Amino acid sequence: MIILLGVLEEGLVYAIMALGVYITYKILDFPDLSVDGTFPMGAAFTATLILSGVNPVLTLPLSFLLGALAGCVTGLIHVKLKVRDLLSGIIVMTALYSINMRLAGGRANLPIFSKETIFTNSRLTSSLPAEMAPYTVVLILFIIVAVCKILLDLYLKTRSGYLLRAAGDNDTLVTSLAKDKGLVKILGLAIANGFAALAGCVYCQQKEVFEITVGSGTIVIGLANVIIGTQLFKNIPLIKPTTAVIIGSIIYKACVSFAISHGLNASDLNLIIATLFLIILVCSNYVNGNSGKRGKGHAQAAKH
Amino acid sequence: MKKLHTAVLTAIAAAAVLAGCGSSPSGESPASGGKTYTIGIGQFADHGSLDNCREGFLSGLAEEGFVEGENLTVLYDNAQTNSSTATQINTNFAARKVDLICGIATPMAQSAYGVGKKNNIPVIYTAVTDPVAAELANADGTPAGQITGTSDMLPVQQQLEMIRAILPDAKTIGILYTTSEVNSASTIAQYKLLAPDYGFTIVESAISSSADVSLAADALVSKVDCITNLTDNTVVASLPIILDKANARNIPVFGSEIEQVKIGCLAAMGLDYTELGKQTGRMAAKILKGEAQASELNYETVKEASFYANTKAAENLGISLPEDLTASAKEIFTDITAD
Repeated sequence: MIILLGVLEEGLVYAIMALGVYITYKILDFPDLSVDGTFPMGAAFTATLILSGVNPVLTLPLSFLLGALAGCVTGLIHVKLKVRDLLSGIIVMTALYSINMRLAGGRANLPIFSKETIFTNSRLTSSLPAEMAPYTVVLILFIIVAVCKILLDLYLKTRSGYLLRAAGDNDTLVTSLAKDKGLVKILGLAIANGFAALAGCVYCQQKEVFEITVGSGTIVIGLANVIIGTQLFKNIPLIKPTTAVIIGSIIYKACVSFAISHGLNASDLNLIIATLFLIILVCSNYVNGNSGKRGKGHAQAAKH
Repeated sequence: MKKLHTAVLTAIAAAAVLAGCGSSPSGESPASGGKTYTIGIGQFADHGSLDNCREGFLSGLAEEGFVEGENLTVLYDNAQTNSSTATQINTNFAARKVDLICGIATPMAQSAYGVGKKNNIPVIYTAVTDPVAAELANADGTPAGQITGTSDMLPVQQQLEMIRAILPDAKTIGILYTTSEVNSASTIAQYKLLAPDYGFTIVESAISSSADVSLAADALVSKVDCITNLTDNTVVASLPIILDKANARNIPVFGSEIEQVKIGCLAAMGLDYTELGKQTGRMAAKILKGEAQASELNYETVKEASFYANTKAAENLGISLPEDLTASAKEIFTDITAD
């Protein structure tokens, strides 16, 4: 039970970030590495805010906004300065390391064990029955993820959301509608990195500590979550891609947990993840090839 | 075909989830027999000093009658410096209902504390330089919760005293450290505080990854009379590069523990990590025996620093080591071993 809860906790936190990666990778076709910097940025910002007495709930929107700002920077570098997508993400990710250290007051490790977080809110925890205690974290996470997912689904149905989807699939359409496709891309990156920073914020409050190394490999986890989720459920029309991404995120963490509890070395984890990644990609390409559909994952793999 | 693939993948995923929750405690329940115990040891990185800590920890436990394989089951995992993996390792320990979690190095200890708090498992840590800054202990040394352990704060004062004894004319000490390592920041603060008492100025040089070591070392050796090392993981891993650059300019490099002196640092007033681990093991034994709660034990540090020297390095630099120091040395190396 503890393992299952652990998997859900980890999976749901990373699902928030994966929703962002879904926008950049799947919708915009933009391999955005800046999430490696915006995830820890959300965490650093949150730790500092909480230590200075800001209400933990308030850190959620604030982190989202800060992440969105960083996403805008990636977008501006790419659209306005005409730097390649991959490189603009790398530039922002690199710069954010220094900024994150500044945000955390020059400390690489900032614990908030003694402070109240969204998970240890005394009013909330006391209003729940005692037998619910082990499930509070998962419950709160579930609510946050559900809200994020519903808001994103609703947004994608708006005019702006349609333009966002069009910008990835067919940007001439965006131009023909007399819209600036660059602006649409910047908006998409802002939302995506907002989600990444929000995930970092929640992660920090759940672990009650900010660690500068927490961001390394975020994009790999994000991509894995998105690919696992969307490939597994793409033939099931009832499951929306956003839901699929969340489930993908939980499956990913379940695999990691499975590997750890079965005595596999953590050092072998990356190899297992890479293999899992490859199997799913190859399978989905194979499936795409058979049915003659255009495989976006495939096109992506060939391009980079 | 399409369906088959999806089915297979879903099955794999489902199996993973099921197996994950199916692996309930494998060891015998300690409550029923009262004689067997299970502990989980989580280590943050693969690193000689941390390995010594772990071995020391187990032998400290063994001294107190907790012998691995007899009445003690030890689960061990290494997070390979990934904080997210650290949490999953500790969650796995909690799921196996261990009697105690031992977290080696700060991030592992913090993660163990987070998981332990939720599952009522006492945590013991070692190789945490500044337990107060890590919020594992209160400012007066009392534990923050069901957690205690040992700190590997370097004996900075003794190290400065030793450098002064070996190099009576030196004025500046260079220190290379990594910005992401919180332990280094605490130790540098100590150095800066105490250096004026011994007539030294500290020149620090910060790097963000091992790729920067070479350039930073070049810049540093041109500015200082000697270099002293912390237990900074990134810097220690690149020590041979620093030694190369320093030797070329005849600048002595001091270490912070035995392993560094072995590979060519002139001398060190350092910690014996195996001893530190043993001390931690004895504390853990108290908790397992029920003699004390983790929350009742203040964190401990190693009281005595040990002197290590390398006569080959001294010879290369043309330095003679003071006799009163060498007489009290814990170990003297006559050769430089390439790891």
